[in-house]
Amino acid sequence: MTRLLLRRLAQSLLVLLAMSLVIQALMGLMPGDPIDLMIAGDPRLTPDDAARLKDLYGLNRSWGERWLRWLAQAVQGDLGYSRLYGLPVITALTPALGHTLLLMGTALTLSWLVALPLGLLAARFPGGWLDGAAATLALTSVSLPVFWSGLMLSALFAVTLGWLPAGGLGPPDATAADRLRHLILPAATLALAGVGPILRHLRAALLTEAQRPYLRTARAKGCGPWRVLLVHQARNALLPVVTLIGLELGGMLSGALVTETVFAWPGMGRLIYESVMGNDFNLALSGLMLATLTTLAGSILADLLQAGLDPRGRR
Amino acid sequence: MLFALALALAAPAGAAPRSSLVIGLSQFPITLNPLFDSMLAKSYVLGFVQRPLTAYDPAWTLVCLLCETVPTLENGLARIETGADGRPGMALSLTLRAEARWGDGTPVSSEDVLFAWEVGRHPRSGVAAGELFHRITKIEIADSRHFTLHLDRVSFDYARLNELRPLPAHLERARFEPAPEAYRARTAYDREPAAPGLYNGPYRVASVEPGSHIRLIRNEQWSGPPPQFDQILLRVIENGAALEANLLAGDIDMIAGELGLSLPQALALEQRAGARFTVLTQPGLAYEHLELNLSNPILADPQVRRALLVGLDRAAITQALFANRQPVAASLVPPADPAFDPTLRPQPYDPALAARLLDQAGWPRGADGFRANAAGQPLTLDLVTTSGDHVRALLAQVIQAQWRALGIRLRLKTEPPRVLFGETVSHRHFPGVALFSWFSSPESVPRSTLHSTMIPQPSNGWSGQNYAGYTNPTTDALLDQLEAEPDSTRRRPLWARLQRTYAEELPALPLFFRANAFILPKEMTGLRPTGHQDPSSLWVEQWRW
Amino acid sequence: MNAFLMGALLLALLGLATLLGPLWLPDPAAIALTDRLAPPSAAHWLGTDELGRDLAARLAQGGQISLLVAALTASLAAAIGTGIGLLAGFWGGALDAVLMRLTDAVMALPLLPLLIVLAAIDPARDSPLAAIGWLALIIALTSWTGIARLVRAATLSARSRDHVRAAQALGMGAARLLWRHVLPEVASPMVVATTLSVGQVILVESALSFLGLGVRPPLASWGAMLTGAMELIWTAPALAVWPGGAIAVTVLAATLLGEGLRRRLAVPS
Repeated sequence: MTRLLLRRLAQSLLVLLAMSLVIQALMGLMPGDPIDLMIAGDPRLTPDDAARLKDLYGLNRSWGERWLRWLAQAVQGDLGYSRLYGLPVITALTPALGHTLLLMGTALTLSWLVALPLGLLAARFPGGWLDGAAATLALTSVSLPVFWSGLMLSALFAVTLGWLPAGGLGPPDATAADRLRHLILPAATLALAGVGPILRHLRAALLTEAQRPYLRTARAKGCGPWRVLLVHQARNALLPVVTLIGLELGGMLSGALVTETVFAWPGMGRLIYESVMGNDFNLALSGLMLATLTTLAGSILADLLQAGLDPRGRR
Repeated sequence: MLFALALALAAPAGAAPRSSLVIGLSQFPITLNPLFDSMLAKSYVLGFVQRPLTAYDPAWTLVCLLCETVPTLENGLARIETGADGRPGMALSLTLRAEARWGDGTPVSSEDVLFAWEVGRHPRSGVAAGELFHRITKIEIADSRHFTLHLDRVSFDYARLNELRPLPAHLERARFEPAPEAYRARTAYDREPAAPGLYNGPYRVASVEPGSHIRLIRNEQWSGPPPQFDQILLRVIENGAALEANLLAGDIDMIAGELGLSLPQALALEQRAGARFTVLTQPGLAYEHLELNLSNPILADPQVRRALLVGLDRAAITQALFANRQPVAASLVPPADPAFDPTLRPQPYDPALAARLLDQAGWPRGADGFRANAAGQPLTLDLVTTSGDHVRALLAQVIQAQWRALGIRLRLKTEPPRVLFGETVSHRHFPGVALFSWFSSPESVPRSTLHSTMIPQPSNGWSGQNYAGYTNPTTDALLDQLEAEPDSTRRRPLWARLQRTYAEELPALPLFFRANAFILPKEMTGLRPTGHQDPSSLWVEQWRW
Repeated sequence: MNAFLMGALLLALLGLATLLGPLWLPDPAAIALTDRLAPPSAAHWLGTDELGRDLAARLAQGGQISLLVAALTASLAAAIGTGIGLLAGFWGGALDAVLMRLTDAVMALPLLPLLIVLAAIDPARDSPLAAIGWLALIIALTSWTGIARLVRAATLSARSRDHVRAAQALGMGAARLLWRHVLPEVASPMVVATTLSVGQVILVESALSFLGLGVRPPLASWGAMLTGAMELIWTAPALAVWPGGAIAVTVLAATLLGEGLRRRLAVPS
């Protein structure tokens, strides 16, 4: 298992390195020098000022040179300075990362809380109305655009009914309960999108598992249907589902980006968007690296779980 | 519990004056240091906590905030002198208010002004718009409150020292002197924003959560009229819909006009919730216009330009989209500006005249309804504007439709601001028309946008903002005169001539002066929108709720 | 009513509505400043938008763009995915390993953040058609992985079939082998995977357009219509409900069709 972990870590490092190169190159291709932008917005800027600033911010270097500099600094733990926030990148990223992880964690928990019982019940009574409901829910969940469901939920619960706040983190001196209230709508939106894939994989896996001969043997031996389901069927079906969910983490991050925009949730997704649009290269690069790291971590976790939980895998 | 609820609902709202205020903003300031990055968000926040030497008040008059009297030639505090290089310059004598103090009790002194000047003019400090700092050749300190500024030229705006904001030398000098180029990253305004000594206004910063909110509390050292609120919370919600929803839900009390909702959104809000909120709109400085690339042969023809203008029903647009809160512009000077010529009226909508002009200019209508000249070249133009601005996108589509009725084909394109301003207009790459707004300051002479030496070209490093490529020696002479003439009565006829020439020659098509919408609780008084770059927060001590 | 039929029917209806609807509906570009945000009426079945344009007509026009982008993207993704899957499955060995690692790497990337960077490059600023092409290309570049996997699996199983091995033994060239023997086996999984990816593609395009990076004014896709609708959601929710609903229904239809096809053509997932 350690060999697997090391191998995956090495692969991930390679991917990260490649990503940083690619992104640095892409950002070099992006039109719009931030200093030129400042000139246009401020008639008092003279060409001398502009040249001074470009030199100061290192904008007159090639992207390759910028990448190497960034790499050299990054390995020492210095991710650079964010132009947009006037702070070191790490200081700007850390709270945002925390907020996104909170959002994604809550959404993931919520989706499992809904999908797992529903999936199990549907498998217990295959072909029944519950099965149909689960299928419908799964289908709806993957069809709704995340930002739209966010807007609709917001319109219903925040504006029309006024039960929940419409966005943001809440006032800075908010209590934990108040923070929770602000978390509900964005987490619910993200969870709504997350339920579908889980349910689908779960139902498919349970269905496949249901046809295995050993289950028929178990039932023939007098095992009650619930015991068959929970002790045997589910345990074996959950394995592929859990590993597949690890891969869905990337999708959830994209969903989180959009949800953060709709609900003005100050997370990493929104940070990446703002920094790309604002030509803040340092912040954008680090943000994207972090996002890649998160999804890679998810897939590594999935692989590890598979290796660890699968009794067949243990040699 | 229901009983308590009923009781709470029945209680009279707002009986006692509020002690705290929550303001919603749509943008977070990049930095709080007064010298870096001229961002509106920063000016707004700083308006609460710091006062500049001079500023424009809501009536567009230049007033002293930290100084005692505005130096003018008339009161003798400003005089013309000969500089060291033999050229005429000016000397301004200023006196700081005796009671002006930083939040830690240290008085605001000439030393602070001197320090700010040193930072601003240092080549490696990263301060962007250094022009004012370079104009000041010397600062003579008489004592801790009296100093004299020496300017290198005679210009009309000699007293406008708004950008020369004093920095607390006793806190910042130590961060600046060892490494000026690192000052941007080390300034206490961003590293320790809660230090009281950084602020000299009625409030000071208590805490900053980047990207989310800034908490302000009462500054005990403030010697001016005491503000009502003990604390002000500035919450940043970048999403317009979420901002509005928070307002309606009561999580924020008001929305700042300088950075809040778009005007159509605010007007829609007024219709729905006008009983709870006042929506104040004030047409301001931002001059929304259609910049024309005069190198395009179609647009080089003045008849075509005039036809394009009178073929736009600007009155109907401002009526439908802006409920008449944004006045149609006749020329490039806003109505509240002292230099405004009220006798100049916008050209009225006249599609018949437009058609005639286009026919005369050699663009008759073809069989398909669109115009083409004798050589078969169609009258097609490209319009580019900023993306992410929904109102501009709507405006562009309306213009497209109205010009189509004239037989002109208009192709629309949007680009993010960093591209539009960073490359497209600044390098004159836009082939036809660009829709955006200029934002300057009261009585600012449009030299960089109209003078023939200010056309961005490779030879001058793409500096200058005369994106249209407008060249007119008479206008050049007028601009030079306006810049140099300090006497306001002699300036008036010059301004009138400039506006008239602009309205006739049309290097750009004037549209509107954008209005900001301030959304306040019904009971709130004292807030006056300014309409220019010195924000309403500079007079927060007058707000009452 | 099984999934395949339902999906096919819905898609057909949507396609017809967007293509033929404009024949009966008013001009989507007809601006009427005096008739803004009007409720549904006989003249405007779904009401008007903020410039007085007929909402139903705008929906139809937006649908044309959305479906066009989706079709283009799906085709590109199918081409890329099939190519990679075939190469990996047919030649095996080191090429297979490298391509599968590549597939895993691309699957592990954060989709939307990467697309934001790619879209921000904006190389085709001057031509709206080229801009759509670029949009389709970058979305396709991140959507081919599912197709590649399915095609590779099908290629592997096809390669072990008797007639293929016989043809190989007879000395048939690789290109002809692929074209005559392998491709027909691979066609079903390819079609299923592509259909299933259409839903994902539409969602990604609408998210990008919503963020202002996909289809830009004056062109409007359903996602782009939602950007402007967000501000007015409290005043005129219809502006947001209809485009979003259209997206949801289309994705639903594509997913149903894909699942139905999968079951019909007995393609393993």
